[in-house]
Amino acid sequence: MRLFFIICLALCLQNAKAQDFHYSYNSIDATLIENADAVVRLDEMFVEIPAVDQIIVKNKRVVTVLNKKGDKHIHARAWYNEGRKVKNIQAIIYNAEGVEIDKVKEKDFKDVSAVSGGTLYSDSRVKYMEYTPTQYPYTVVFTSEIMSKNTGFVPSWYFIDGYRVSVEKSVFRVTYDGSVGILNKEYNFNEKIINKSKEGDLSYVAENLKAIKYERLSPNSRNFFPRLMVAPKNFNYEGYIGNTGDWRTIGKWMYDELLENRVELSESTKKKVKKMVSGVDDVKEKVKIIYKYVQDNTRYISVQEGIGGIQPIKAIDVDRVKYGDCKGLTNYTKALLQVADINANYTRVYASRNNQQDIDKNFPTFLGQTNHVILNVPIENEEDVWLECTSQIMPFNFLGDFTDDRNVFVITPEGGKIIKTPAYINEDNYKKTEAVYTVNERGDISGDIIITTKGIQYDDRFYLEEKKEEDIIKQYKDYWKGINNLKLNKHEFSNDRDDVVFTEKVKLEATSYGTLSGDRLLFVVNAFNKNTSVPDRYRNRKLPFEIQRGYLDEDEFLVRIPENYTIESFPESKDIETNYGKYSISLELQEGKKSILYKRSLLIKKGMYPKEAYADYRDFRKQVARAENSKIVLVKAK
Amino acid sequence: MNNSIKLLGFFLLVSYGLTAQNVKFGKVSKEELLETKYEKDTTASALVLYRNLSLNYNYSQNTGFDVVTNVRERIKIYNKEGFRYATIRERLYKASSEEESISGLKAYSYNIENNEIVKSKLKGSDVFKENVSKYYKEEKFTMPNVKEGTVIEYEYQIHSPFAYSIDEIFLQYDIPIKKQEIRIATPEYFSFKPNMKGYLLVIPKQSRKSDKIIFKSKTRNNNVTSYDYNTQDYIVDVVEYNMNNVPALKEEPFVNNMNNYRSSVNYELQYVQFPRQTMETYTTTWESVVKKIYESDNFGGQLKLTGYFKKPLVEIIKNASSLEEKLGVIFFHVQGHMNWNKYYGKYADLGVKKAYKEKTGSVADINLMLVAMLREVGIDANPVLVSTRSHGVPMFPTNEGFNYVIAAAKIGDNVILMDASNKYTKPNLLATRALNWFGRLVKKDGTSYAISTFPKKLSREICMMQLNLNENGDLEGKMRKTYTDYNAYVFRNKNGSTSEDDYLENLENENNGMEISNYEIENKAFIGKPIMEKFDVSIESQADVIGDKIYFSPLFFNTKKENPFKLEERNYPIDFTFPWQEKYTVNITIPDGYKVESIPESIKLGLEDNIGKFVYNIVAKGNQLQIVVDLKVNSAIIPAQNYLGIKEFYKKVIEKETEKVVLSKI
Repeated sequence: MRLFFIICLALCLQNAKAQDFHYSYNSIDATLIENADAVVRLDEMFVEIPAVDQIIVKNKRVVTVLNKKGDKHIHARAWYNEGRKVKNIQAIIYNAEGVEIDKVKEKDFKDVSAVSGGTLYSDSRVKYMEYTPTQYPYTVVFTSEIMSKNTGFVPSWYFIDGYRVSVEKSVFRVTYDGSVGILNKEYNFNEKIINKSKEGDLSYVAENLKAIKYERLSPNSRNFFPRLMVAPKNFNYEGYIGNTGDWRTIGKWMYDELLENRVELSESTKKKVKKMVSGVDDVKEKVKIIYKYVQDNTRYISVQEGIGGIQPIKAIDVDRVKYGDCKGLTNYTKALLQVADINANYTRVYASRNNQQDIDKNFPTFLGQTNHVILNVPIENEEDVWLECTSQIMPFNFLGDFTDDRNVFVITPEGGKIIKTPAYINEDNYKKTEAVYTVNERGDISGDIIITTKGIQYDDRFYLEEKKEEDIIKQYKDYWKGINNLKLNKHEFSNDRDDVVFTEKVKLEATSYGTLSGDRLLFVVNAFNKNTSVPDRYRNRKLPFEIQRGYLDEDEFLVRIPENYTIESFPESKDIETNYGKYSISLELQEGKKSILYKRSLLIKKGMYPKEAYADYRDFRKQVARAENSKIVLVKAK
Repeated sequence: MNNSIKLLGFFLLVSYGLTAQNVKFGKVSKEELLETKYEKDTTASALVLYRNLSLNYNYSQNTGFDVVTNVRERIKIYNKEGFRYATIRERLYKASSEEESISGLKAYSYNIENNEIVKSKLKGSDVFKENVSKYYKEEKFTMPNVKEGTVIEYEYQIHSPFAYSIDEIFLQYDIPIKKQEIRIATPEYFSFKPNMKGYLLVIPKQSRKSDKIIFKSKTRNNNVTSYDYNTQDYIVDVVEYNMNNVPALKEEPFVNNMNNYRSSVNYELQYVQFPRQTMETYTTTWESVVKKIYESDNFGGQLKLTGYFKKPLVEIIKNASSLEEKLGVIFFHVQGHMNWNKYYGKYADLGVKKAYKEKTGSVADINLMLVAMLREVGIDANPVLVSTRSHGVPMFPTNEGFNYVIAAAKIGDNVILMDASNKYTKPNLLATRALNWFGRLVKKDGTSYAISTFPKKLSREICMMQLNLNENGDLEGKMRKTYTDYNAYVFRNKNGSTSEDDYLENLENENNGMEISNYEIENKAFIGKPIMEKFDVSIESQADVIGDKIYFSPLFFNTKKENPFKLEERNYPIDFTFPWQEKYTVNITIPDGYKVESIPESIKLGLEDNIGKFVYNIVAKGNQLQIVVDLKVNSAIIPAQNYLGIKEFYKKVIEKETEKVVLSKI
């Protein structure tokens, strides 16, 4: 009898703890474990838009974490601010068998300001779960509910939301009132995603999506991860009612509601502007003068509060404090130009140096596709001028890799339109390295180098002139890290901001650059612009690859050798031409065989290539890398 | 602690303004505005023209003493890099019922326009307040109208109800300070000891003055209210730090925490004594600091709890007979059972009992539990208070000096240090974050003594290679690597949760073009043992084939090519974390049809004070070459005065390792 009682008690205890066998590790299909650090068992988002000024987003996310690296896929967090409320957040943790082991209640979530480093103030905050796993695998069931009156922005749905994570089931549903309406667009869909939508109810389900492993040079994941973009036809933003549907209308709405009355300036500032441009006839020249004034007098400080999330601070306020974020500074520049009778257009863009990202021209949405603002200035009978108003040092009409070559949303008084920004392609991104250097009998070198850069390569280097002396020296030691014991004797910069050309003149020396072996002295002839990077090898590459930026480097080095040495051998000239670029080197004896002229050029072409071509590209870079290390051998004259 | 003082040892001279000149708020001169660089440091992006910090105790009958700190700074901005000094953030502490606050903010920017001084005022609406966490909020603002050449000036008062503590006052910034006047006035009731740190020689000026408190008391008698006034006189101790031309603190690489070297003064409360009350003593010496920590329920109290582990402990030690064995099984039990929740701290976070039950806890939960268990089985075990590398070196006895606790055990004459909060530590191998100068070992009676946490044993990385070189310069062969102690610890922390495929792919890609097969690893998870890797390797173009000769550096892809020490000079010690040895033994078979024409010379190099040693030995015999290269650094920390020596040492090591063997066609 007693035994029975104990067994009974044990069973009761077992039952007292919730157990959900559905979440046990063993129930995961083996194909979902391959290449995965975590398995999303269920990711379910229900969006309700019962009225134009009401949105409720309910999320349930169940993730089984397989190892330490999988912790980051839990996503047990919720962002909120004044107008965006969070409630009912909770997380329950299960062990590998699916037995509940812990519960994190709303009050135990950490509540912190969600401000990034460059922001002075923002009212956005985040609640997140802090949990120390005691075992792997384990499963977290996270639920949250978010409510807002601002309905303009419905998050895109990623059926698979990262590398190294697989998905058992992903459900996305939007129910909406007829007065709101919805637009949606599918990207990179496959047969595993099923559309179950009906009137007033947008609904998608995907099951068993395998984990994808990241591979070097993979294109932006947006371009091949299945994703759904959604936008309400009619929306509310802080009391302003607008509608999506076409870029013209959204743009018109933004102009009328958010921009029109923000350009007023004080009389004294107006006078100042007029004085600045008086006597100047050329419109472009006027723009240039005003842009320079903005650059010299303002700085970037980000403050995000309430409607400030999308509306610029008034020009008159920026004029008073002389700082602002991208919206404020762009609007300020626009206001100053207006005083000089020049019309300029506030322009929204998705800015990113890497993973350049476009607005989808065919899917007009409110703000969902952009994160930054620049200024577009149309000039009669000429190409438009583009201004980056947050930088104090960017040359006039130069966008750099932050915003070049992509669709942007230009907002004019008549409405919005999509335009592509100018692109810097392949040969535009140019670097020339010219050097004269001498090797002595100990292998030490000394020389003069001139580096000239244009296009995006200019963008990579021109900031040097703003750096402190000690940082400049550090930068060069890093730039030429292959040269040990490097000593910089002199450097001189000239920055031609009109033609966007940066020139560096450097004088340097380094001991033991060459190596001595008995009577011989060996050294790598390409001392100052060696490109030996070879992309990683994959035993079995799965993804296509993309070269996002092309460039052209040209070099000319004159190498002088010591008096008592003769040249025993030097590398052969070489020409390699492939789909991905061109490489050539040539060497020529000069000055009675006491010097060698080395010429090199490397062109890498922008492009998207299938995975089958990867080995071929890698082979090209290997050949280049090998040639870059080729040496000159000197031998002591007997 | 003596040792640390010696290592940090030399002082920079700054001059001291003896007479305080009156720098009036708002009186910014044209000269200040027109200046384009600071003569004494032309690389400075901004300069503090004048700084005044004055701290006073105020008495209020309702709330007692509070601390008012008046802050005033005038800063010149030279260039765009200096713009960030135009943004001011003041961190304010909160406790359950009281919090610090700011008042009286005045701030202006000054610019020259058309040869006129133009002043712009900071508006109240441009000041932001933010609740950062449970413990503090932040008040911040950025100045209006800032451009290259602007001078900004601001002033405000911080009110703190926390009269028992004064925040550390920095005497040195990342930008130079032309003139600063710092004045700390404390009433005799609070006895503080100022502790100086850093490289600046600071001479405080001390004085005393008197002050009084007037107590007002009200009595009501038959509808007549009368007031009585009582006066209490007391002495105020004033310390002034008046300094001119304070240099900027400049970053250097291989320093674990720059703040260790920043000059500052830290006021440590020693005792509080109000009239007609007994003296309350606070920390004064390391002994008393430690005693106070020890007496806390969240420290010493945790060591007394034993009930929660009594039962499991019987099971854990059932097969262990000697004390050493018991120590081993208990350590590995705690390490395996517990999961660190990423919190440091010397006090228990969840409490040992709850932590043990939930299998998760802070460093203190885990290591105090370890000490208690070791004591339970009769081992002489004690907690050791330490400061982590990121926390800095505790140079003066303060409660805040320690932020971490480890365990120590004495068996026979051996002292064993332990940290069970990381999954890859072992007895006498601590988590690297805890390797920071000295800790304080606390005995059962609350007394304590200093104990070094620096590892003395060399952590080794030993590599043996058997390689065949072909006439194209390609290599193929076998490799065997062994990692001991900290090298194994680092390896396990880095690769512990990486799959073998990913690890190998990484390894191949780090050594461009390498292909690895037949990979085997031993003791990857066996914490007590060294890690051993064995694999076949092939890698292309490792030698230059030029004409009828072949040139190569005999360590091939293991050759050191870059000197980590690039700067011309250095002020601060070099921190290697632990002493180490790297040894390569390589046997090379040269291609058929070639003979060895020349080989580098064998050498031995030493560093002064036996800090480091380098041996390079090469022998050629027929078609075989054998190379042994052995590099050692015997000390975790190397004083700055050895910098040039070690830089030169590395230079020679690299020159030697990159030297070529020359083969020629027969």
